[in-house]
Amino acid sequence: MAESTHDWSKHKRSYMIVCGALFVGTVLTLALAKIHAFDVGPPGPTAGDYVMGLSVAVAKSSLVALIFMHLNHEKSLIYKILLFTFLFFVGLMVLTIFADLDPIVEQYDTLQTTHGALTEKQ
Amino acid sequence: MEIPYEVTPRRDTGLYNAKLGVWLFLASEVMLFGGLFSGYVFLRLGVQEGVDNPWPWGYNVHGPYVWAGFINTLVLIFSSVGVVFAWVALKERNWKAYQTWMYIVVACAVAFMCIKTIEYKSKLTEHHGIKFQDNSVIEGKILDQTDKIRFEGKEVSMSLQSALPAFLKDIDGDFPTFTVKEGPEGTEGTELNSYSDLKSWYLKQRREASSSLAEERKRYRSELDAGNANPTPVSVVTSATLTAGEPFKLHGNPRKIVGHSDSALNYKDGSKVEGMLIDDTVKFEIHQVDMQLVLPQKQKDSMVWEVVDDDSVKKQFFEAQAKMYKEMRDYYEPRGEMIPEKMLRGHKLNLQKVHMGGHHDEEHHAEANVHKSESKPSAEGAAEEAHDDHGHGEHAYIEVPREKIKFMGNHGPRYGNYYAIYFTMTALHGLHVIGGALVLLFFTVFGKKLYLKNPEHLANRVEVGGLFWHFVDLIWIFLFPIFYLF
Repeated sequence: MAESTHDWSKHKRSYMIVCGALFVGTVLTLALAKIHAFDVGPPGPTAGDYVMGLSVAVAKSSLVALIFMHLNHEKSLIYKILLFTFLFFVGLMVLTIFADLDPIVEQYDTLQTTHGALTEKQ
Repeated sequence: MEIPYEVTPRRDTGLYNAKLGVWLFLASEVMLFGGLFSGYVFLRLGVQEGVDNPWPWGYNVHGPYVWAGFINTLVLIFSSVGVVFAWVALKERNWKAYQTWMYIVVACAVAFMCIKTIEYKSKLTEHHGIKFQDNSVIEGKILDQTDKIRFEGKEVSMSLQSALPAFLKDIDGDFPTFTVKEGPEGTEGTELNSYSDLKSWYLKQRREASSSLAEERKRYRSELDAGNANPTPVSVVTSATLTAGEPFKLHGNPRKIVGHSDSALNYKDGSKVEGMLIDDTVKFEIHQVDMQLVLPQKQKDSMVWEVVDDDSVKKQFFEAQAKMYKEMRDYYEPRGEMIPEKMLRGHKLNLQKVHMGGHHDEEHHAEANVHKSESKPSAEGAAEEAHDDHGHGEHAYIEVPREKIKFMGNHGPRYGNYYAIYFTMTALHGLHVIGGALVLLFFTVFGKKLYLKNPEHLANRVEVGGLFWHFVDLIWIFLFPIFYLF
């Protein structure tokens, strides 16, 4: 029954703070997609907005993993397991680079005509 | 038998066994979802501009249901907090608080799944798209199940060697009385008054046709073996024609139909219904026009405008496009750059919301004539009904002739790669939510006995269940932006 004497109020406070941060992060992600002022680069959703949105997601998930899943103070065996998991995950993501090595090529001979047509139309 | 290290940690690992077990399980879960995320990236990066269906912008796909995704994110985050608070309550030996928090977590899971169901339902029943032969697309809603071909049947013919003929499921209203006109010997004139009558008759004939065919083949082979160079050919009746006592209505499912004319519906399984075509046009409430697969110089003559013969819709599309083009030019020109091709062909310029029946404002309201395309002449009753409420406010619709359609469907997994991977990943995640909630509910309802025996043991169980629950939350944190926002 040693645990019952431990002061848990600090833990509760940190959980509430993380909860608030996750809520704010979620609103921020939505704002990045919805509000023009948050646009990174040209108007509309672009790779920049996507990277920003995913960065917020990474920050949020890190909070969940570190605080809620207690990875900020875990036994070394768990970190070893997660290191292998991470390496495999990175391997899966690296696979997607092969998409660029695809022999299929796009026909971009329409580039000039596309520009011409739009300018003329407006 | 006492299972060791359920409460106290093992000396070599420093962990109680269940915790090590759940982390190993979560590692395999990362691989599972990692494979799917990798697939998502492949599909997204692999889109061939101007050839494949463009990858849609999540925010545009979900429309008002972005809020569903947003609320679900908050719900899952809150439930994650609930689990850690429940665990802390156990550590504080506060059963009441533990139970309350756990019920809150389960309620959050139920709320999440309810919101998800509403969202799925809207995609499967409320949102449709039609791609024309020139690859232009209109998004909106197919009305009154008019994707089905409305037909009046009088006579049907079918093979007796396949599954039950597909047209049977398309019969709308009362089942007619069928009489066998042509079929296996001795069956002519048989009356079939109901679906079950026809089914049992069909199965019996199929069985008999199959055994007759086997016997005939045996006979043929034995004649050959006997030295007869020209044996009597195999002859077994393997098809039947039935006439209906009175004409019956059919709503032909286009996915099962290989072709149709004014007098016949031909099903993929070889069955055929003869009679009269009532109407095959598709009633469509149009919300968006998508020209991403049409070159800009061809957009003004696109097939969309042949079908949506409403100048105000065309005007809305090109006005919105011009406005966006100006915004882009204002961004790139001062930088001395050209607007990238990807942008010129992308959804910001080529996918625009439109409103049937003219602009919303008064000035343009006079030109609110919603048109009807050059649909095929349709049979009396249905045609009159179809034209009745043309152009009446929010229920305004267009009629799309089927021969102009390349593809149509709801926003289900078949609608494109985005939808396929969206449903796969969110449904798999949903299953995890259900599984996790059931485990946590079990700990809540049946945990008291263990709590009284050894509260630390229950706390460990809740911690392990909680780790899974946080993982489910963590996956959603990524699913929300990649599918709903960007």
